[in-house]
Amino acid sequence: MNAVTVIRSGRPVEQAAPPLPPAEPQRRGRRRRSRADETEDIPVAYYGLRRGTVAGITACCVVFAIFTLIPIVWIIINSTKTQANLFETFGFWFAAPIVLGRNFSLLFQNVDGYGTYFQWFANTALYAILGGCGATALAALAGYGFARFSFRGSKVLFYFVIAALLVPVTAITLPLYLTYAKIGLINSIWGMILPSMVSPVGVYLMKVFVEVSVPRELIDAARLDGASELRIFFRLALPLMVPGLMTVLLLSIVGVWNNYFLPLIIFSQNQLYPLTVGLGLWSQRAQNSGNAELFPLVVIGGLVTIIPLIALFLVLQRYWRSGLLLGSIAN
Amino acid sequence: MSTVTLERLTKVYANGVVAVADLDLRVDDGEFVVIVGPSGCGKTTALRMVAGLEEITSGTLRFGDRVVNDVSPRERDVAMVFQNYALYPHLSVHQNIGFSLGNRKVPKPERDAKVREAAAVLGLTEMLDRKPRQLSGGQRQRVAMGRAIVREPSVFLMDEPLSNLDAKLRVQMRSEVLRVHRKIGAAALYVTHDQTEAMTMGDRVAVLRDGVLQQVSGPRELYETPTNVFVATFIGSPSMNLYEASLEGSTDASGDATVVLGSQRLALPAEVLKQRPQLAAFLGRGLIVGIRPEHLSDPAFSPVPPEAGHSLTADVDYVEVLGSEQLVHFTIDARRVREESELREQPGTAAEQGEIVAASVSEGVARVDPRSAIRAHGRAVLGVDTERLHFFDPDTGDAISSSGAATAAVLPGASGAAPAPGTSEPSGAGASASSG
Repeated sequence: MNAVTVIRSGRPVEQAAPPLPPAEPQRRGRRRRSRADETEDIPVAYYGLRRGTVAGITACCVVFAIFTLIPIVWIIINSTKTQANLFETFGFWFAAPIVLGRNFSLLFQNVDGYGTYFQWFANTALYAILGGCGATALAALAGYGFARFSFRGSKVLFYFVIAALLVPVTAITLPLYLTYAKIGLINSIWGMILPSMVSPVGVYLMKVFVEVSVPRELIDAARLDGASELRIFFRLALPLMVPGLMTVLLLSIVGVWNNYFLPLIIFSQNQLYPLTVGLGLWSQRAQNSGNAELFPLVVIGGLVTIIPLIALFLVLQRYWRSGLLLGSIAN
Repeated sequence: MSTVTLERLTKVYANGVVAVADLDLRVDDGEFVVIVGPSGCGKTTALRMVAGLEEITSGTLRFGDRVVNDVSPRERDVAMVFQNYALYPHLSVHQNIGFSLGNRKVPKPERDAKVREAAAVLGLTEMLDRKPRQLSGGQRQRVAMGRAIVREPSVFLMDEPLSNLDAKLRVQMRSEVLRVHRKIGAAALYVTHDQTEAMTMGDRVAVLRDGVLQQVSGPRELYETPTNVFVATFIGSPSMNLYEASLEGSTDASGDATVVLGSQRLALPAEVLKQRPQLAAFLGRGLIVGIRPEHLSDPAFSPVPPEAGHSLTADVDYVEVLGSEQLVHFTIDARRVREESELREQPGTAAEQGEIVAASVSEGVARVDPRSAIRAHGRAVLGVDTERLHFFDPDTGDAISSSGAATAAVLPGASGAAPAPGTSEPSGAGASASSG
């Protein structure tokens, strides 16, 4: 574009290149955040609620928050205690001696002769990562398919997904066990991983997410541009689906990580156990078999078990951002 | 580069809604054809059928001689600019424009050269590294255009590409789009709901209503000889004043006739009747008379005062001063016809209509000289250019024209080199106008 002379109120004004919107990403980010703050910060007085109502709702939230946090506080406090203090001191306060470090190191030593906690931890991580990633990949493909293709039976198939959504994993565990017994998947890690890779919730979430975040026009445009369906999926749709994918990934990993019943009945070998079953075993032995020295380890073992999930949540959080479509579609 | 031919193209949705019915249209290589119509008239569906994004229920679509009904969109060699741009948000402008070339495995250096060329045409050279979100609305629109032209498609489709721009930018981009189109020279089909856009941009304009083609012709012909009430009201702003009237006069060709408009009478010169022999059939009957706002004038600014029967006396409601002209909104005691649909709802007999006409008062618009002293809340005499009245059959809404052939569609201008609006030749080929 050439420089143009603009006459403004009788005086020529030299105008160089057209004004450019600021491009530095940092500044943009900061400005966007501040604008978001502006829209979110509506004074409570403008909500149109009575003062007492606001206070009441806030009180309810506080109670609920405390209720949710109590077990976590308990496990943090009690993981610092010795076996004796665990039973003799007040559960919601610390008691000398603080033996968090010793408990922690005992956990990874050959405490009951096998050095098993580390093995269980690795098992859990393996099952969760394979199952979670598999579930996310399948959910992405299936959700995209349901959302953006209409094929014969697509509706019926999706009803099946919804139906599967309503069936708790616990309910299918026994049928699974009987099937595994026939095809030899008992005591196989695939017996754990394969069902974990099927996530009806993930498929449902991805379908809904694709519907709002991957516009039809974008796919149409890419088709006219000659892109293959695979290229459209990987190059265009997938980047837009990232926040949804991260949600499904987190939910599936947490689901596998915390799964107790399925590994309990399909695994009979200690070295295949995930943390849930392993800690359950310790807990039983501590109570029934006189291995009372295992109590502090069950507590700190529980704490260590939840730490990776908290870390995962914090890591994935940065992918939950909006505005991926900014500039693509004009209102 | 090829001609696009739509033959009886029909789209019926699964729920039975007929979006497009028997659409006949031809777009020559290098021609710019605009499909215009109110929202929901099926124009976008028609475009999407040409693109291959919508299945064709029946009819034939040809690019050149090749039937492409079942050819997938990615093999049709069609480029389309979407109403909302549909840019790839995480790709840079360069990648957006070059996306189609990458799909066709065009080598990198060549791809880069083509992208830069397209960007230069659209003034986007400086923006190539930006992401769509860093662009203004007009720039995004240009990227969408760039993405379409970079592949040198044989067919160029545009679905209301300017509707998301502000008014000023829209006017500017109109000429830009035409300039770009002239440069690439492909057959272009442009969809809009804006009649001004259609008139200013199209070599030919196709008016669509409820999925049915009403008229295809050059902008001037469309304006001067609309085939029916719908086209007459849809094209032109402010739109044509339509009143129910009746025709009185002698049946012999020499005699003058009179148009009775409420309590007023307009003399119809014998030449007008001679030009439109079909009018004779309406003598003594009701018809619809149409007057363009610019054919009503303030007699103070015409060299000779209007003769008797060439003026209307009207009550002025208000006057819009636009600087270059004034729009006088007035009422007269004739029943106004707004749209074909309104017309259809009425009982058809002349006697009934006569009663209604006598009883009712309706508004109209006149476009008068900016110096006119006509003011609101007064009574004004408006000169009527009676030779340029439009007449429509009250039963069908069709124009009462000089001959049947004139309402037929016209061939596109002789070559692709941007024929001037209205110079295209009448011919029976291509589309046929139909009644509503």
